[in-house]
Amino acid sequence: MHTQRQGITLFTAILALIATLVIIQLWLVTAALDGLLSGEVGVALPGAIASFVLFLANGGLLLHALRFDRRLQRGRSHGER
Amino acid sequence: MPTAEPNDVPPPRWKEDFPITWEGDAYILRRELAKFLTLGSGLLAATSALIAIVGKWFWRPTLEGPRTRIARVSDVARGGTLLFRYPTDEDPCILIRDTDGSFRAFSQVCTHLACAVVHAPDQNKLFCPCHHGWFDGTSGRPTAGPPTRALPRIRLDVVRDEIFAVGREV
Repeated sequence: MHTQRQGITLFTAILALIATLVIIQLWLVTAALDGLLSGEVGVALPGAIASFVLFLANGGLLLHALRFDRRLQRGRSHGER
Repeated sequence: MPTAEPNDVPPPRWKEDFPITWEGDAYILRRELAKFLTLGSGLLAATSALIAIVGKWFWRPTLEGPRTRIARVSDVARGGTLLFRYPTDEDPCILIRDTDGSFRAFSQVCTHLACAVVHAPDQNKLFCPCHHGWFDGTSGRPTAGPPTRALPRIRLDVVRDEIFAVGREV
């Protein structure tokens, strides 16, 4: 049986992880744009691949959290019946 | 007098997103923020991909400036340098002649804080004395110190004894 308190802990941890990865993605965008403007176009493609991998990681974390949320909702609706 | 709702009717879905308790509020807030941040993550990934596409297929270094005679070949000794202004009188540049006789030229303005760079022929580097920035003497790329961008290169055309600047790579 999942509780909302567990959900808060889970979402807080996942939020921290997602926020960290988003900050890394921001840095990648900045570095790629800086490279592009200074003529170093070779930086952009590895940066884009890394950013996409980080996005997939973020999506996976969110899916995990949302699956928990669905289980919580289901448990609650069963409890109400 | 209003009648009470029967117990078997579930509360509407929207009510779940507006909880009364602090605990419920904290839960919903974190859940929605996680969704929002993941959306932002997707946008950042798309931006990175866009930059890569532009860099791969659409970005070409453009040239600016007229064709201007800057010196005679005999004016610059092998291993020596010559300062000139290009494309306008406000833009100092440095012409470098290698020991093998070839020429190359860069903007003399440091890409960090716009001090004038000088040539260090013994190391084949360009040095900015203001904050100890170093650039590669062949490519103009930064090698040490605070600068992160390469020095703009000046394209040259050597016709017999005359050296012409034909454009600045931007």
